[in-house]
Amino acid sequence: MIYELAGLRVDIKNRCRYTSEFCKEYLSEDQSSPAAFEAAVTNEEFAAEKKESEGFSDGYIENICLYRSICLQMPKYGRFLLHSAVLEYENNAYAFLGRSGIGKSTHTALWINNVRGAEILNGDKPIIGYNEAAAEDEKFIAYGTPWNGKENRGKKGQAPLKALCFIERAKENSIEKIGIGEAADRIFSQILLPTEQEAAEKTLELMDMFVRTVSAYVLHCNMDISAMQTSFRALVGREFTNNDRK
Amino acid sequence: MKIKEGFIIRQVGGENIVVPIGKTGKDFHGMIKLNDSGAFLWRFFTQDHTEEEAVAALLNEYEVDEATAKADVAAFVKTLNDPRFVD
Repeated sequence: MIYELAGLRVDIKNRCRYTSEFCKEYLSEDQSSPAAFEAAVTNEEFAAEKKESEGFSDGYIENICLYRSICLQMPKYGRFLLHSAVLEYENNAYAFLGRSGIGKSTHTALWINNVRGAEILNGDKPIIGYNEAAAEDEKFIAYGTPWNGKENRGKKGQAPLKALCFIERAKENSIEKIGIGEAADRIFSQILLPTEQEAAEKTLELMDMFVRTVSAYVLHCNMDISAMQTSFRALVGREFTNNDRK
Repeated sequence: MKIKEGFIIRQVGGENIVVPIGKTGKDFHGMIKLNDSGAFLWRFFTQDHTEEEAVAALLNEYEVDEATAKADVAAFVKTLNDPRFVD
C-alpha cells in the first residue's frame, strides 16, 4: 500500500499486519498514482533484526526493518533520518539530540508541561527534508512519521526546523551556540549512513548543507524548569514569560 | 600503500569526512575525520604510492619542511596500515 511519508509517496510492501495498523494514519487516499519508491524487507534483513530484537513479534521486527529501508532510500529524495526529539512550537520545529538516555525525553517534557502550544512532532525518529526553493531559514523541514520511538510521542505534521540543540547533563543550566565544524562532528552519531554509494554521497551533501544552514547549540542542563527557560531563550529568541506558560 | 576501494571522502561543514560504502560499510561502521593534509594523503593513497612519493607530493602541495612532511606521512601510514583500510 502507498503511504505519504515526509511529503513522498512510499509503497510499503509489508507481509505482517502490524505495519498496516501502525501507519494507517499516513495511508494515501490515492493508491493508483505511482510511488516515489518501494520499501520491502529481505529475509536476510529480517533474520538479522530478529537476532537483535529477541522476544518481539515478527510484525514489530518487520516494522523496524521497513523504516530502516525507507530511511536508507530517503537521501536520494533530499531527506534523511535524524535521531532526535523534535518539538513544534509556534509553527517552528526544534530538534533535541544526544545519546540514548541523556535526557531528550525529560527536557522536551519540560516544554510540553510548561509551554503553552508546544507539542512533540516526533519523539525519536523524525525525517528531515531539504527544500532548495524555500527561504533561507526554512530550507530544512521536520516531518512527523509513524515511527516515534518507544514512548510513541508524536503527530502527523511538518514544520521548518529552526535549530539543533545537543543535550548534555550539568548541574547548572547554560547554552552556547556551536560552529559548523562541531555541529558536523556531533551530527554523525545521530544519522543513518547508507552504504549504497549514491545514497551515501547524497547524505554527506545533505549534512554539509544542514550544518551550514541550521543553527546548532549545546545545552548543558539539569532537570529543573529553568533548563527549559534556558533553551527557550536561545531557540525561540526571547525570554520565557508568564504569558507563555501553559 | 594503496587504500582499498569502498570509501568516499567529502567535506561536511568544513571537516574532511571519510565513510565506508558497499561491502566495506558492512564490516566497518562509522566515519573517519581527517585534517587537510590527512585528506590530501587519503586521496593520494587511493592510487598505489610509496611513502617517499607521498612526502614529495606533500612538499609540492603545502608550505612545509621535509621533516614535517615525513612525520605527517609516517603518522598517516602508521594509522591507516590496517586491513580495514589497505589490502
